[in-house]
Amino acid sequence: MRVTNGAKIAAASALLALAVAACGGGSSSPGASGSADTPVRVYISEPQNDLIGGNTGESGGAEVLKALYAGLVDYNDKAEPQLEIAESIEHDATNTNWTIKIKPGYTWSDGTPVTAQNFVDAWNFTANSANAQQLGSYFSIVKGYDALNPADPDEDGPKTAPPATTKTLEGLKVVDDSTFTVELTHPFSGFETALGYSAFFPLPKAAFGADGKLVAAESTSPITNGPFKIAKPYKRGTDQTISVTRNDSFKGGKAKVANIDYKIYTDPETAYNDLLAGNLDVMDTLPASQVANAKATFGNRYIEGPSSGVGWLGFNIKTGGVYATNPELRKAISMSIDRKTITQTVFSGTRTAADDNISPLIPGYRQGACGEACNYDPAAAKQLWESNGGSAVKEVTLSYNADGGHKEWIEAVANNLRTNLGVAVTPKPYEKFAAILDDLGAKKVQGAFRLAWLMDWPLPDDYLRPVFGTGGSSNYVQYSNKQFDELLNKGDAAPTLDEAIKFYQQADDLALKDLAYVPIYFYQLNAAYSQNVKNVKLDPFEALDVLNIEKA
Amino acid sequence: MSNEMTVAPPPQPAEAPQPAKPGKPASLWSDAWYDLRRNKVFIIGAVLVFLLVLMALFPSLFSHVDAYNPATCNLANARQGVTGAHWFGTDNQGCDTYSRVIYGARVSILVGILTAVITGVVGGGLGLVAGFYGRWVDILLSRVAEIFFAIPAILGALLILSVVGRDNSQKWGVWVVVMALALLAWPLVLRIMRASVISAKNQDYVVAARALGAGSGRIMMRHILPNAIAPVIVTSTLNLGVFISAEAGLSFLGVGIQAPTISWGLMIADARARFLSAPEMLLFPALLLSITVLAFVMLGDAVRDALDPKLR
Repeated sequence: MRVTNGAKIAAASALLALAVAACGGGSSSPGASGSADTPVRVYISEPQNDLIGGNTGESGGAEVLKALYAGLVDYNDKAEPQLEIAESIEHDATNTNWTIKIKPGYTWSDGTPVTAQNFVDAWNFTANSANAQQLGSYFSIVKGYDALNPADPDEDGPKTAPPATTKTLEGLKVVDDSTFTVELTHPFSGFETALGYSAFFPLPKAAFGADGKLVAAESTSPITNGPFKIAKPYKRGTDQTISVTRNDSFKGGKAKVANIDYKIYTDPETAYNDLLAGNLDVMDTLPASQVANAKATFGNRYIEGPSSGVGWLGFNIKTGGVYATNPELRKAISMSIDRKTITQTVFSGTRTAADDNISPLIPGYRQGACGEACNYDPAAAKQLWESNGGSAVKEVTLSYNADGGHKEWIEAVANNLRTNLGVAVTPKPYEKFAAILDDLGAKKVQGAFRLAWLMDWPLPDDYLRPVFGTGGSSNYVQYSNKQFDELLNKGDAAPTLDEAIKFYQQADDLALKDLAYVPIYFYQLNAAYSQNVKNVKLDPFEALDVLNIEKA
Repeated sequence: MSNEMTVAPPPQPAEAPQPAKPGKPASLWSDAWYDLRRNKVFIIGAVLVFLLVLMALFPSLFSHVDAYNPATCNLANARQGVTGAHWFGTDNQGCDTYSRVIYGARVSILVGILTAVITGVVGGGLGLVAGFYGRWVDILLSRVAEIFFAIPAILGALLILSVVGRDNSQKWGVWVVVMALALLAWPLVLRIMRASVISAKNQDYVVAARALGAGSGRIMMRHILPNAIAPVIVTSTLNLGVFISAEAGLSFLGVGIQAPTISWGLMIADARARFLSAPEMLLFPALLLSITVLAFVMLGDAVRDALDPKLR
């Protein structure tokens, strides 16, 4: 899963934001940028977890992982998969059994070669529920996942799941140093496309201790196999910068800059001011309030383009308030949101009103798939709200992360609900994206909340299974629909993409009927960069192309 | 004349108010009132404060738009600039800035007055006790006060409010901000009261009252308090403006008053990001905030001149 904080950001408190703003001027003077070793400074939000592929499901960490790791496949400008570490990826006629060969010559930053065993070790580790890795559920398609993730006998009740009897996925087999095989639980034609996602990154032998857990050093200075490596240990929660330096022995190409500093911000406005002042070089998601100014200020250093992002309003449909558990009330809320005016006014036209769960960039998107539920109709919304007992709702809470520039649109939605449904609404800001994700993961968010999704790979199933699938890594709404899960599996098994899409769309229709997540808007890419850098490109996943960026 | 004043007997509330004419004996209070009525600064400050208090009590007198009614906002009209229908323009949510500025007065005035009263009562009361009893009571209270005094006010309030958290701030409204400010501001009042009490308690009329058999309580309340309270009133009035700007500052930083309560500090924070494209959104609440602080400072200055000319 890759959830996005929207204006991908992060810092710590009002105080800290001030301190960051105040310190920005002193930390690096714009004039010193001429030196070849001065780092390129890139804006991110604080990563939620350690910089490990299997535990990074949000955009802040993903941005850094892009520089640190290389996977079996990578994606080109059109988001098509291209072999990176893999030499060949072959499958049998049913798309169930896959054989993956890796190229020689890729090495870890500690000098050891990247082997087939590294992938199998990492996947076994990530899939094991005992390790609580964020992206564990991505391996539910691999045979043996259920044995590694025994079911909790009473779901959220007091009993806990029995310990797994095994530590490895039955479907993974190492043939030799450069070959391994994968057996899936069901046919999945998109497996090769999915393999570029960080969940499928390898981990070196040295990352694991004798007990099979990750060693402590992996959290501060992980051993990596990408175009860059960690320059100095990063203490998450304390350090405001992640410094990486070029890995000259990386086989996949030599980066043109020697150093990159990922700077962590909690307020996109602060980051934007730093960008203006020359204390930041690349900002990949401009705050909506500044987009209009940015076009004029940055000229040809302003980047605009399509984005795979979808913004949702999610509801805790199992344990939330009645407005969250009742699908008719959720629909009434959805119908009372004026998406068009919000995208035009609050976002200055940098978003478009959403009418599907799947981004228009992805094959399988259908215009108007959401139907009347996403149409602004205050009168019908009010009627639906009242006929389903909405009048008894005392208060609707809208939780959001304040570090992503969401305040204005959440306030606008709040006003829509207040005016059109006559209900009291309390917007509830979380300081950091990582903090709301932690609370969402612990099911502590009771009402409605915002969440957005950037694709992991360019297929429609990626917008459905991780978000709506039972046990999905970003299924914070606790949605579980057997029929939906089965339709996704049927789609995976379909021999061609066109046939797969038909099943995915049927699954999408179920999600749009139940409205556990309500689509609100589609993102657009708005980025800008300083005069210190050139050849700035953002990949289809909105991460900086670290190989090609250059010093100006 | 100032000599006479400090040794003057305590004012007798039962006495008919005497016209304070030169040459005739007058109480401190009637003398002060005589001064104030002739002070232009006081008149301007008082009129402004009167209008602001009226605004806080009855905002509908000034604006026919109820700023707390979300139906009056139209998102499509957001950031419209100054128009005939919206004198101060509209904000990010398309709400009328003029009515929001008017309705925002309540929070500012409330925080200012409540904090000033609480610090005045607590600091004044403790200062009276500390100054009157001296010895270990004084040592204890003064040291405790010094601990609080050492904390920089805005930093301390920021810390307290961050710990209390947004949820509680939302629940308790202005009280969280009031208590945070009061907690840090009372020692100042205590110090002033204590010094004032110490100089008053050695006066002849106190000695006389004690000789006549008056108890400590009676001496404190009847003789010392009325003669020592003037500097506290002056400080409290001047502080009112400080508290109002502190509230706006804390709300601006996101730890003070929480939406949907309307506060000038919040309005300024919301307008900050778009200052270049929609400056009126920031300027009008900032203007009202400045006028309010100015009004209370003018009032405080005039009261100080009247009650305590030595401080001028």
